[in-house]
Amino acid sequence: MLVRAALSLAAATLLCFLALPIISLFVRVSPATLWGRLGQPVVRQALWLSLGTSAAATLLVVLFGLPVAYLLATREFRAKRVVQTLVELPIVLPPTAAGVGLLLAFGRAGLAGGVLTAVGIELPFTTLAVVVAQVFVATPFFISSATAGLAAVERRYTDAAATLGATPAFGFFRVLLPMALPAILAGAAMSWARALGEFGATITFAGNLPGRTQTMPLAVYTALQNDLSAAVALSVLLVILSFTILLGLRFAPWGAAVGGASARLRGR
Amino acid sequence: MGESGAGKSTLLRLVAGLEHPDRGLIRVGGRVYFDSAAGIDLPPWRRRTGYVAQQQALFPHLTVFDNVAFGLRAAGRWPRDIATRVTTALARLDVGDLAERRPAEISGGQAQRVALARALVLDPDVLLLDEPLAALDLRTRAQVRGALKAVLASAPSPRATLFVTHDPLEAMVFGDRIAALEDGRVTQVGSREELLARPRSPYVAAFLGINMFRGRIVSRDGGIVQIRTGEDGGELSAVDPGAGGAEVVAIVHPREITLFRKAPGGSAQNTYVGPITEIVPEPPNGERVRVALGTRPPLVAEVTDRAVLQLELREGLEVMAMFKATGVTVFR
Repeated sequence: MLVRAALSLAAATLLCFLALPIISLFVRVSPATLWGRLGQPVVRQALWLSLGTSAAATLLVVLFGLPVAYLLATREFRAKRVVQTLVELPIVLPPTAAGVGLLLAFGRAGLAGGVLTAVGIELPFTTLAVVVAQVFVATPFFISSATAGLAAVERRYTDAAATLGATPAFGFFRVLLPMALPAILAGAAMSWARALGEFGATITFAGNLPGRTQTMPLAVYTALQNDLSAAVALSVLLVILSFTILLGLRFAPWGAAVGGASARLRGR
Repeated sequence: MGESGAGKSTLLRLVAGLEHPDRGLIRVGGRVYFDSAAGIDLPPWRRRTGYVAQQQALFPHLTVFDNVAFGLRAAGRWPRDIATRVTTALARLDVGDLAERRPAEISGGQAQRVALARALVLDPDVLLLDEPLAALDLRTRAQVRGALKAVLASAPSPRATLFVTHDPLEAMVFGDRIAALEDGRVTQVGSREELLARPRSPYVAAFLGINMFRGRIVSRDGGIVQIRTGEDGGELSAVDPGAGGAEVVAIVHPREITLFRKAPGGSAQNTYVGPITEIVPEPPNGERVRVALGTRPPLVAEVTDRAVLQLELREGLEVMAMFKATGVTVFR
């Protein structure tokens, strides 16, 4: 009885703690104000910029992350742990530090910057830099989820595919990928969420230029300096956006696994 | 056949190309799959083996139809050709009505039939069966065993089948040639009759050294059935196994059989007279001796070496062999 009460109390406290800031945002802004703010060019620009860059970043993360996840899940090699640690590093690295690193790597005087300048690409303080910063911080979330999903596909299935005449490529697209799909989509959703909320690396590496590099989180921060109600409206918008998309993913046909484990497929 | 850990599954996985030997030669029909001397090691997808594992591995995200079509699609066949072949293969294993189901929606026995269809539809060079019945419950096992026997016997049958089992009955029922695998080594290869009459290891003697007859029940009376053995028209009496088909497999352990020079008193239901064709000491130089008899059906009896001395048994001698109806185990 006592245990049950303690459990309920702990759960209730945590839920209140998580919900209170969200509720506070919503009580501070009326739907009319929200709609009005949406009409402002700065807000609209920030919104589209955020949606565009985070979508592009997610696409890049999946495109380049999937092969890495495949290798990590299916191959044994000596440097595997080093590679895994390197891939996971951005999770613990403060985003501002990541931004400084990106600046030193891809800036005009940076290690790779010289090469980029030579082919006519200038990264810092451009929209592309926003995408680069988001890819940097979002990659680990995709890799770890996709690797776990691919590794969870039991060997008997890939063995069966191979003896049925499937080349590794055919087996990957017809067996491994579909069976690991829930985990892969979950990873993509997490990366997208991370990219959408990205602040520190973006402001350090890409700057805070309205219309070019000022994404929603940066716009919130900027608005907070002189106009609290604008910051609130933007925040509410972000909450609605994230919540809708995460909820949509969870209720999609393959969805139960998003954010959780792909236990349904792994079990068999 | 061999006990668990003997290396049976490893052997199949080597042939399928899922494991790689250090050295040696793997050839199926005319095709070399692996040859360490020539540096040949075909990947599994170029070997044309039909591999059915003990633990079923139907792709859970595909329907039964798409599972069976998988290999044909990998080979780039035309859709119409695929549909015809898949339908035929499913019908052959009596699972045609399950085509649109998912593996999660069918039973273990049905899944194993689908797995067989999936392997057979590709017309493999060799069918590799890794204890295909072991994971099934007893009743389902008997049904799938029957289906498997029928498929292996009827055209178009696989050119060769490598069937791995730890169950002596399965080895006897399915094996044209039986290889005993002990601790990673083949200790004996031969026909069922050869292994029965001349077991070369205690393992083979213990597990394969049994008299086995295929036959049909021709009459029943008071709880006892008469079974006519297929090959030689001999008959034996056994305890009635109950309702079911007439086709049966009867097994008599050699120790159930007693040998006499002259007819004794008492009544064993099964009495046969015939010459001794061979006397083989049971390894390793034990006290027991195997005596093969030219009776109808041919029997192998196991007696002590003292009995051999007392009865003055020798090859060519006419003797009387007896066993009770309760000493016969009948399988369907």
